[in-house]
Amino acid sequence: MQYMLLIYEDERVYGPDKNGPAIQEIVGKHIAFNKELGAARVGGAGLKATTAATTVRTKGGAKTVHDGPFAETKEQLGGYYLIDAPDLDAAISIAKKLPVLQDGSIEIRPLLGGM
Amino acid sequence: MNDAALDRIFRDASGRIVAALAARFRCLDLAEDAFAEACVKAVEAWPISGIPHNLGGWLYRIAERRAIDAIRRQRTRERLASEILPYDTPVQMAEEDDRAAIPDERLRLIFICCHPAVTTDARVALTLKLVCGLSVQEISSAFLLTETALAQRLVRAKRKIAEAGVPFDLPRPEDWIERLDAVLTTLEIAYAKAHEDAAGASVHAGYASEILEFTRVLAELLPNEPEALALASLVRFSEARRPARLDDHGAMVPLSEQDPAHWRHSLIVAGDRYLRSALKLAPAGPRALQAAIHGTWCARGSLARPPPWREVLALYDRLLEFRDDAVVRLNRAVAVSEVLGPQAALSEVEALAQEGLRIFLPFHALHADLLRRLDRLQEARAAYDAALALHPTIAERLWLEGRKKSLAIG
Repeated sequence: MQYMLLIYEDERVYGPDKNGPAIQEIVGKHIAFNKELGAARVGGAGLKATTAATTVRTKGGAKTVHDGPFAETKEQLGGYYLIDAPDLDAAISIAKKLPVLQDGSIEIRPLLGGM
Repeated sequence: MNDAALDRIFRDASGRIVAALAARFRCLDLAEDAFAEACVKAVEAWPISGIPHNLGGWLYRIAERRAIDAIRRQRTRERLASEILPYDTPVQMAEEDDRAAIPDERLRLIFICCHPAVTTDARVALTLKLVCGLSVQEISSAFLLTETALAQRLVRAKRKIAEAGVPFDLPRPEDWIERLDAVLTTLEIAYAKAHEDAAGASVHAGYASEILEFTRVLAELLPNEPEALALASLVRFSEARRPARLDDHGAMVPLSEQDPAHWRHSLIVAGDRYLRSALKLAPAGPRALQAAIHGTWCARGSLARPPPWREVLALYDRLLEFRDDAVVRLNRAVAVSEVLGPQAALSEVEALAQEGLRIFLPFHALHADLLRRLDRLQEARAAYDAALALHPTIAERLWLEGRKKSLAIG
């Protein structure tokens, strides 16, 4: 099955515009993690800070453009992996190895039609 | 053959058969539906043909056919149907023992139902339904939910299991500890519900016996897991005392006042055996310590002997190393009050008030008792009222009211 691993962390730990020294540290960890994932990795990327986010909202058929992320939360979506795993337990054990710098959450979502 | 007897037969057979079907077809809904159809078929056929000798095998074979037919009917599932085995392979219809005829896949089913990705409440309900064979009506009344609400919870849980890709295999070694803990926790919660009802009204009494059976099966399937054995022990010690939990007026009787002569000796013997096996395998974990606390009480033998408060307190001290939570501390405080006196216990109990225990009836009951023993009767009365305001069961209410009345006399 294919699963999306959505990485939520408090982006402030990476400094303004994710330019702080912490970003070097986490990138290094992601490179190692990618190697370990090997063929299980289908795709993935880190995202710029929510200060760079723009949201297009549809309401009653009308489209409006807004500055900022879809929702203001304590932890923000900061990156994702798309993986191929035989089942949820395998996806969970990959998610447990996924590096986060301090506190954070990895949401595991199976893809529609991703069997 | 009346309906109740048939229900009993179906319930006893269900866990094993649903588990075998679920493992074979990798779909909980299909397994459940096929088993239900086999039961319908049995209700039609058995009054005419008589109950088959190998009734489990009979039900399994019919259910298996129904499942395969269902798959074949569903065009979208054609690919799956081509992969499964034809009718005649797994079940030999000779007069064999059921145990040999149906593969025992209950452990797999237990791990599926208790997967940590399913919410805890739903895990308990799903396990009682699929593994223990309880009806939606029975489970909903135990959980104070409407049947519709419970049915929805079950549907959501099964959908989550199917869509998230919960594996139908046993957990991998690296996941074993976490997954086993989820199973044991689920069972503890299920048993706590069954235990709440001291009166053992029909529905719950049957349900407690299901947990006895379930923990026996789990211990049999996992003979080298000390905490699984300890849970089987704990449930037995606790159920052994059921006949002594109410007095002649239906009021709750606290553990230290229960007459051991009324306890069920056979369950105590079985509980002892499980606990000894658990302790042979490993140093006591949290469930073994809890079982040991219950076992210490069960060893009392007679009301003439002093209650074993010192041993109980020592065991609670060890339990705190694993589970330092407010409920364990509250239970420990009962032993503290007996060993070190009510004043020592009172300060510990009052410190717990901040930890969400204000809505927990036993907190107020113990608080009241300590205040009573310290002659602070006005405050004791208020604490009993606080306990009585928290919707006690009838047995608890009668006990609390009796205690409150004794304040006026004393």
